[in-house]
Amino acid sequence: MPRKPPRSTFLRLLQFVAAHRVALAASILLALGSQAFALAVPNLTGHAIDAIRAHHHARLRSAIELIVGAGILSAILMAFRRQVAGKLSLDVEYDLRETVYRQLQRLSYGFYDHHQTGQLLSRATSDVSAVRVFLGYGLVFLTQYGATLIAAVALLLVTSWKLALLTFVLLPPIPWLAVRYSRRSHPILRDIQQKIADVTTQAEENIVGVRVVKAFAQERREGERFDERAERVFERQIDSTRLQARYRPLLELMPQLALAAIILVGGIFVIDGELTIGEFFSFDLYLAMLIWPLRMIGMWIGQYQRAIASGERIFQLIDEQAEIASPSSPRALPAGDGDVRFERVRFGYDAGRPVLDGLDLEIPAGRTVALIGRTGSGKTTLAQLIPRFYDPQAGRVLLDGVDVRELELGELRRAIGTVGEETFLFSSSIADNIAFGVPGATREHVAEAARLAQAHEFIERLPKGYDTIVGERGLTLSGGQRQRVAIARALLLDPRVLILDDATASVDASTEAKIKLALRAVMAGRTTIIIAHRLSTIALADEIVVLAGGTVCARGDHAALVETSAIYREIWEHGLVDRTFVTLDEDAAVS
Amino acid sequence: MSTVHGSRPQSLGPARGDDVSLRRSLGRLRRLLELVRPYRGRAALSLLTLIVTTAATLATPYFSKYAIDEGIGHRDRQALLIWVLAFVAAAFVGWAAQTAQTYLNAWVGQRVLTDLRKRLFAHIQSLELGYFENTRTGRLISRLTNDIDALEQLVTDGVTSLVQNSVLLLGTAGLLISLDWRLGLATLTLFPLMVLSTALFRLYSTRANRRMRERLADVTAHLQEDISGMRVVQMFRRESVNAIAFAETSDGYRRANLRTVVLNAVYFPFVSLLNAASTAIVLGYGAKLYFDGDITAGTLFAFLLYLSSFFEPIQTLSQFFNTFLAAAAALDKIYEVLETEPQLTSKPAAIALPPIVGRVDLDGVRFGYGADGDEVLHGIDLHVEAGQTIALVGHTGAGKSTLIKLIARFYDPRAGTVRIDGHDLRDVDIGTLHGQIGIVPQEGFLFATSIRDNIAFGRPEAPIEDVRAAAAAVGADVFIEALPDGYDTLVAERGAALSIGQRQLIAFARALLANPRLLILDEATSSVDITTEAVIEEALETLLSDRTAFVVAHRLSTIRRADLIVVLENGVVLEQGTHEQLLARRGRYFSLYDDWVEAIA
Repeated sequence: MPRKPPRSTFLRLLQFVAAHRVALAASILLALGSQAFALAVPNLTGHAIDAIRAHHHARLRSAIELIVGAGILSAILMAFRRQVAGKLSLDVEYDLRETVYRQLQRLSYGFYDHHQTGQLLSRATSDVSAVRVFLGYGLVFLTQYGATLIAAVALLLVTSWKLALLTFVLLPPIPWLAVRYSRRSHPILRDIQQKIADVTTQAEENIVGVRVVKAFAQERREGERFDERAERVFERQIDSTRLQARYRPLLELMPQLALAAIILVGGIFVIDGELTIGEFFSFDLYLAMLIWPLRMIGMWIGQYQRAIASGERIFQLIDEQAEIASPSSPRALPAGDGDVRFERVRFGYDAGRPVLDGLDLEIPAGRTVALIGRTGSGKTTLAQLIPRFYDPQAGRVLLDGVDVRELELGELRRAIGTVGEETFLFSSSIADNIAFGVPGATREHVAEAARLAQAHEFIERLPKGYDTIVGERGLTLSGGQRQRVAIARALLLDPRVLILDDATASVDASTEAKIKLALRAVMAGRTTIIIAHRLSTIALADEIVVLAGGTVCARGDHAALVETSAIYREIWEHGLVDRTFVTLDEDAAVS
Repeated sequence: MSTVHGSRPQSLGPARGDDVSLRRSLGRLRRLLELVRPYRGRAALSLLTLIVTTAATLATPYFSKYAIDEGIGHRDRQALLIWVLAFVAAAFVGWAAQTAQTYLNAWVGQRVLTDLRKRLFAHIQSLELGYFENTRTGRLISRLTNDIDALEQLVTDGVTSLVQNSVLLLGTAGLLISLDWRLGLATLTLFPLMVLSTALFRLYSTRANRRMRERLADVTAHLQEDISGMRVVQMFRRESVNAIAFAETSDGYRRANLRTVVLNAVYFPFVSLLNAASTAIVLGYGAKLYFDGDITAGTLFAFLLYLSSFFEPIQTLSQFFNTFLAAAAALDKIYEVLETEPQLTSKPAAIALPPIVGRVDLDGVRFGYGADGDEVLHGIDLHVEAGQTIALVGHTGAGKSTLIKLIARFYDPRAGTVRIDGHDLRDVDIGTLHGQIGIVPQEGFLFATSIRDNIAFGRPEAPIEDVRAAAAAVGADVFIEALPDGYDTLVAERGAALSIGQRQLIAFARALLANPRLLILDEATSSVDITTEAVIEEALETLLSDRTAFVVAHRLSTIRRADLIVVLENGVVLEQGTHEQLLARRGRYFSLYDDWVEAIA
């Protein structure tokens, strides 16, 4: 992916603030106002000191009153600025995250094949935060500091242009040092994070895999490996420390030297009568006001660079084209019983390596077909083309006579129930998981689907029945239980076409027998495609389709295929064993 | 001592970091000092440079006062130059001391953390398996990660900042009073207000921040789940429903964070207001004193300069309190693990187990988890000849897994003996036992290194030829060589990129390369594709030959081939014999077999 120049990334990021431009303008104005009053304090202090020297009580009193007044006004404006800018930054973050989330929902299967969850997650979390900090606060602060710098410089010039010129020679190294420090330390800090992640990974692995470590008596070697990694973190920390030790004290020293120079030269000016003592004090206080923005600008330049890098990663995701979307003027799905047809379908995950190559297959409505073939023969791929998780690169897929690409995606997918190899459940109640595709379903319907899938019994025995929370943040179900919940989830859709991908693979024999009975009932009246590795499941099918070389190489019933297809014979003899014997009674193990 | 039933109270309870009683705090301090002891030279030097740095910070405004009074006030250019030079000298001394201090302090801090990390890891590894079964993995990992991080804040920045800011605060107060006690006390009147408001702010903002972090964790968890399950979401067209739920979570975080914004928007302007007020006090009351001839202009200037270093330490110190609480909790939790004694250790007089021939005898073995847990094995007698394959069959909970854990001596029995080649396992050195036993767990756990390293896990020094041979012997060579980097291919975390069957084959190769004299295999139940299934069956045959092997078996093919099938039920051996013998008995095994035949019909 070609990298966009940072400027355009910056402009695109600004668009996210554009929706909140009133808040942005308000916070900038508030910041400037607050800063203007803050700047008045040193000036007034100088006046107060001159008044003291001149024993001018009235002027002193008014100066002090003005200092307190300016302090109060500055504080009030600052409070509003913090409130408005804080809300602004959170709103921008919210909008950005929403945009990323919606984009993630749009992207299709092919995208998720090539991206890891962790990477995508960090786009929506740390990258979004980095952008938020800069857009929400950075713009405001940069404006405020810029204005402060200009005003302070102007005031310095007005107070004493000679001293001001001296200052301008001494101060520029400060932001320069700050930027340099930030640039040099940032890669090291990132590397430290990486090295710490290595340590964490090993800690995790060795704790999760403690049985393997102990079984192979590798405690000592694993300990050495861990120590080595821990030492690498230490080494990098020391590298970072060296930089810190070099720059931080220097950044403290520079303003001190500037102050010393001003006291010396300014002092001589006062002695020579070129400057009043009050002006001298004001000058010093202005100088103090300059130093903070100078250092902070260095920091915010670092933040800007980080925000741009994060912005680039976010836009890379947002610019990703959703490969599969509903057509602009979709056709309605005609009434039908789920006639599925593949016509000269070609498809491959990588260009030049087709998995399906000119495949023709018709599955008449209501039939149950078992797809079999060796690993990589395209069984799962073929099934995934029907609900358009992928589009074929040539040829077409028809459902009840209509090319699936001409249908509205929602209508198409509602007509197809899929139980995949991976039976992902969400961290919500079992009832919600079963009703996933039909959120309004009644408890009766949910229980009915669960009964059909042979899941009702074990669900009833769970601590809270259908309200038991499962998934990553809930109760862990066994593989067989998850599969049955997933079957129930698909059945509740009452789909025209049911796709069962290895759906009964990790269920024990007696449960499988139950599911088989159930499946016979639910398969009646709808087209069913079974991708199975077991003889017993294949026995459910009206017909077996053997895939090889990207096409259908044979179809028929068991008796016919044993006679006619060498590939079927080979698979049947070597692979189709029913091996889960007797040892799992997972429902009993739940309580 | 080696009595064991993995019995310990449920460990890693809630941390008591909020217990800041003197006794506990001193205990923590003692532990920290103990960790620092090996580096006491550097630590002492770090403290010394810290004091110099702080003194220099305090000295500079003092010198500027003299520059103004002696130099400018008396129109004495030479005095001005001298005091400015003193100022510069102090600044340079401070700079040098701070440079050394930054380095030394971070060095000692990081060294202590590294040592603690290593010690903790080594200790965790020395604990017996029972400990891991009673402790949640996530918590244990958190000891090595989050808790060390929490401690890092304290040992690297915390202590420095505590000392420096305390000295700065007291030093400033002292100097203000010594410069002029009346003006000093007047300035200090704002001090209680500052302390009070800061304490209140800390109290509320700690709560608000915690809530914000919780909400942020919700957002992350929500995203994590939706991204992992995006295919299912799309399959069931749940995009809009999920988007609404996510928007709610996201908004929850926004609202929680807004609360911290509001708190900051109140506190920080208030601090700046106090600053302005103190300036007014110094000027107003200072002017009076000046008019009365009690103080000089330089003193007034010094007061103004010191004001800035007066309010900052209070804010920083209040942050330290949070750091301290978090670190104290972390330290307590870490030491709870460190003080957990390994319960399963070799006897002092343990003998090295000679090379195993393979005879295994269990006599009257009884066992239950924990000291008072229910007994799960009730007097097992089992005698196995060298070289036999034993298939353990029975329902979940029958005691199959427990039995093999006793044979590998992850636990000791409550009664009875487990002997290998006639040696009671309690009398042998655990290392020499585990070095000769190979275990293939069900899930085929892989480490996130290369395939080669995974296969060579039990024999790290094995040459690549041996690794290849082991892979070839189990039929894993075909798919490994087809991978982009062959044997150097990195296995993604927990083997995510490899299929279940492929992971199993790698685990087989790993066991084969270690060439154990005794093999324990927990057969996987999950499905593998047709091609791999055939390979696995052949691989098993290779793996099981030439050694005594216990298999928790699920495949009929494996069970049939076993020399001895042991049917366990409710912790007792129900029947044992070969496939044919057991079928002829028409007992439990026969009926299980019958179920199976019926299921595939």
